[in-house]
Amino acid sequence: MKRSTLYPMLVALVLCTALPVISAARVGEAAPEFTATASNSKTVRLSDYRGKYVVLEWHNNGCPYVRKHYNSGNMQRLQKQWTGRGVVWFTILSSAPGKQGYVIATEENDYLAKMQAAPTAALLDPTGEIGHLYDAKTSPQMVVINPQGVVIYNGAIDDKPTTDLNDVPNATNYVNLALEQAMAGKQVETPATRPYGCSVKYVDSTH
Amino acid sequence: MLDGLCIKTKMRGCNPSSRFSPAFTFGVGLLLCGASALAEGTPIPHGTLELLAENQWIAAGHKLDLGLRFQLEKGWHIYWVNPGDSGEPPRVEWQLPTGLTAEAIEWPTPRRLETSSIVDFGYEDAVMLIVPIHAEASLAAQQPARLGAEVRVLVCSREMCIPGEAQLSLTLPIKSQPPAPDARTLDARNIALFTATRKSLPRPVPGNWRFSVADANDSFVLTANLGRQITGHQITQAFFFPLAESQIENAAPQKMLPVAAGFRLTLRKSDQLLKPIQRLKGVLVLSADRAYLIEVPLSKSGAARSKAAAAVESTRYDP
Repeated sequence: MKRSTLYPMLVALVLCTALPVISAARVGEAAPEFTATASNSKTVRLSDYRGKYVVLEWHNNGCPYVRKHYNSGNMQRLQKQWTGRGVVWFTILSSAPGKQGYVIATEENDYLAKMQAAPTAALLDPTGEIGHLYDAKTSPQMVVINPQGVVIYNGAIDDKPTTDLNDVPNATNYVNLALEQAMAGKQVETPATRPYGCSVKYVDSTH
Repeated sequence: MLDGLCIKTKMRGCNPSSRFSPAFTFGVGLLLCGASALAEGTPIPHGTLELLAENQWIAAGHKLDLGLRFQLEKGWHIYWVNPGDSGEPPRVEWQLPTGLTAEAIEWPTPRRLETSSIVDFGYEDAVMLIVPIHAEASLAAQQPARLGAEVRVLVCSREMCIPGEAQLSLTLPIKSQPPAPDARTLDARNIALFTATRKSLPRPVPGNWRFSVADANDSFVLTANLGRQITGHQITQAFFFPLAESQIENAAPQKMLPVAAGFRLTLRKSDQLLKPIQRLKGVLVLSADRAYLIEVPLSKSGAARSKAAAAVESTRYDP
């Protein structure tokens, strides 16, 4: 009995040690550069947006936590509000082919239209390259980058880690706080939180 | 085994968003499984949930243990009080008559659930969460009391998560004092489940064990001194489940080094940890059946010899 429980744990620990340690997108450090193809088929390079605030939103349309924010209209509201103030907003899709949340460009464009979503662009990341570069753990994980290209927020969208639509109106939104405080020249009070949600559905790293 | 099979059989004949009354489901279960192996359960996504009472009565001035028993299909899991990198723990809203109060959930030792690049903490297969209910001494023997629980639970596989809700209830008689135990008042199956579940709860640490935690730049180093009886080489495994979120990197390996009378465990700090912490609190698992609840204040920098260590009294805890 003992052995059967311990052995998988041991194997897991060994596997962990073998993986490279990626701790990118730490608050206060430079946001890792990436180039991606958007669902509108344009090529997006992060460094082209230096001088602007950039929000990264990890997305998976099948995740109940993501659906909470889209079905309540909360995410679309945030996208409109902040892009209206000159912020660049990238929705990033890191689900691997065959996994929940994986879509091709036309499907994503249909989704954006249907949901009346308004990101600057939706970036297709089926290899998980950008996701791993930022060590994105969940959807909807959120990252805020300042005009100097430094990460000023990385974590949850708000302080209500639930799938309940009723929690949206009473939540403290960390992305709003980070952007408002940074734009007012203040320190971001809560620069990192546990990014609640569904695990990002990456290509399997173990075979 | 038989128990699990019954649930499966019952689920197949049951729409998950069931419009069947509990009595009907009960009846179907009875027919399919036979009375001896009966497991009454309300459907939740990819499993069932059952509200059980250890004793079939409420006695004024006494504690009654209730159990929320989750049975999950293979490949699906629910979460511990600290879910780890994703997910969320089950939440219960109690509907209890005046004079009855629900205490905090007693969480069994969780398992480490690895998914792509993240690590969650939770339970697979079957788990029971015990919730003690306190009955005031002034509670008068009266009409039977209805104990209701509204449970919200997130059920996940490696591939997806489904939120579920269940409304459960039990009706029990209120007695002025506990009745003498006999075959009619004891439910053997329930008692076995509660006994087994208590064994899966983390225990308080033995009084002669000493712990300290030192801040070592990007890590916390937990040092355990287990007294003279146990020498270091007997401990071959140690794993720490943190009760608070965002203190340590859940997916990082926890390096264990045996030392004279115990071991040293290196826990990488979480990237989300931006302020110093006062204490490490969580469940330390030394082997499959040896899990302890520890709460260790952080030593002043460099003071690794500090003996300031506190073992909490019970397994009831809030994060």
